[in-house]
Amino acid sequence: MRLSLPRLRMRPQIRDRESRLLFVVAITLCVGWVSLASTRTGSLSIGDPLPLICWLLALGGLHLAFVISGRDLDQVLLPLVGLLGGISLLFMERLPQDLVVQQVGDRTLMLGDLQLLWLLLGAGVLGITAISVRSVRWLREYRYTWAAFGICLLGAVFLLGDEVNGARLSIHLGPLSGQPSELLKVILVVFLAAYLADNRPILARTSLRVGPLRLPPLPYLLPMLAMWGIALSMVIVQKDLGAALLLFSVFLALLYIATQRVSYVVVGLVLFVVGAALLYSQLGHVRTRVDIWLDPWADPLGAGYQVIRSLYAFGRGGILGTGLDAGLPAVGGVPAIPLIHTDFAFAAVGEELGLLGALAVGTCYLVLAERGLRIAARAPDEFQALLAAGLTLVIVLQAALIMAANLRLVPLTGVTLPFISYGGSSLLTNSLVVGLLLALSDRRAVRGVPAAGYRIGRSAVV
Amino acid sequence: MVLWALRIGFIVCIYVFLALVVRTLWRDLRAAVATAAPSVGRLIVVASPLGRPEPGTSIPIDAVTSLGGDVNNTLVVDDPDVASQHGLLTFRGRAWYLEDRGGGGPLRVNGEMVDGAATVRYGDEIGLGRVRLRLERPHDVADA
Repeated sequence: MRLSLPRLRMRPQIRDRESRLLFVVAITLCVGWVSLASTRTGSLSIGDPLPLICWLLALGGLHLAFVISGRDLDQVLLPLVGLLGGISLLFMERLPQDLVVQQVGDRTLMLGDLQLLWLLLGAGVLGITAISVRSVRWLREYRYTWAAFGICLLGAVFLLGDEVNGARLSIHLGPLSGQPSELLKVILVVFLAAYLADNRPILARTSLRVGPLRLPPLPYLLPMLAMWGIALSMVIVQKDLGAALLLFSVFLALLYIATQRVSYVVVGLVLFVVGAALLYSQLGHVRTRVDIWLDPWADPLGAGYQVIRSLYAFGRGGILGTGLDAGLPAVGGVPAIPLIHTDFAFAAVGEELGLLGALAVGTCYLVLAERGLRIAARAPDEFQALLAAGLTLVIVLQAALIMAANLRLVPLTGVTLPFISYGGSSLLTNSLVVGLLLALSDRRAVRGVPAAGYRIGRSAVV
Repeated sequence: MVLWALRIGFIVCIYVFLALVVRTLWRDLRAAVATAAPSVGRLIVVASPLGRPEPGTSIPIDAVTSLGGDVNNTLVVDDPDVASQHGLLTFRGRAWYLEDRGGGGPLRVNGEMVDGAATVRYGDEIGLGRVRLRLERPHDVADA
């Protein structure tokens, strides 16, 4: 009996750009590490370099794996994630370690160790996704399965979720806990990309006119209303403003990318304003968030404390920052900004690395956006284009949302800063997203279903 | 002093990294522009009984392509039913359009007669008389 094994075609390919960029990332992180340890001890020191070495080895391992796999993957995304993850590691080592304590067996793991663990797991997820995903057809073909799975996740949170800080976000299953809304947004992007790729010609058609607005046939407006309903119910039941806002804005952006119709964006924004006004007048927790944003000084020691502290942190940082470990993150063991390791990680960066550091972090997300949208623009079919654009937007919009909230530009919505905030669900999901983006960037392997009109754009008869 | 240098060094390193990244992005963009410029699409000759244009060939086209029997057309199509000024294929904004130039001959998209003008998508078949042309995307850089 003969067994025919699938032949793995692997032709190692040198990735010189990636190696060069990773080299600079390694030097940067080493300088940061020495800076942190030296400030802490008062003299030149490297502290305990083990976590940093682990992270750099993981990055090197990923690079090597990409080289051996021979795939034509994007060469900028990995160094970018490496830098953001490294900055995260620096800050999680630097913040008070007792912010998160977890017992694993007979060992007690603290904030820094746990973040290192999540980063390494994330790197594993990223590598496996980027190398093993050779086709995304299965993602498209099982779109309604994904949708059902997503709704189940949402239902599970509604029923089983625990309330933390007034938001029902996490599920505990035995020793494990996680935030399903993180995974939900990826599932939603996959479903939306498949749905829009299927129905784009109909959605782009005009058949209904309401004043100056030209709308598509009525039945095809339903998904939009459904999305609006899901977002609203997330705010009402889960009290999860961040995820709801993120999902709705990604949805609108994808709809616009697929149809290039401004009228959809207008309708979506009107729905958003109506929904926001409704929620503001009816729900206490929404009103609190908005009131804090409008005037945090109304209750400086209570509701507004977090935001005011964040603004002070940016102020103390100035242009160059106070330097790692020289900021004021904890007064008498109590963190100056509650949730500094998750929601307010950007404030920590702003304080210790200053305006320049904060701008650099912002630029990293901009570069991520450029790379992701570029992958989308070069995608061989509509589904892959929409998928790549959606995945990019999920990360970039989330980063923009929380950075703006830290600076009191928008009301605070509890989302994490991708790759920098502490948190397993967030790190693993974002690694999965970047892994998928990398897989999509290899145009030699990922081939989609050839569609009749695989061009993104309007197709109206003159 | 050392601490200060390390602190500034860290930020400088981050910016060196970003500068390198931006240089990479810029080069990629330049490369994409350089290779993408020549043509916006191509016509595959599916059928051409009189051999002009040559059946089976792939013709890269620009944003404005005139079709007809006259030698001054971008693509000269030889067929008894093709007028001297037959059709005009244009790429405007993000869509392809096919216009009838009033020569009187039959002009079809996927077998349907064109009345005045029609949109054409990649993969669609344009018919002039007995000549049939298929519009395709330009050659991919990676495929070349």
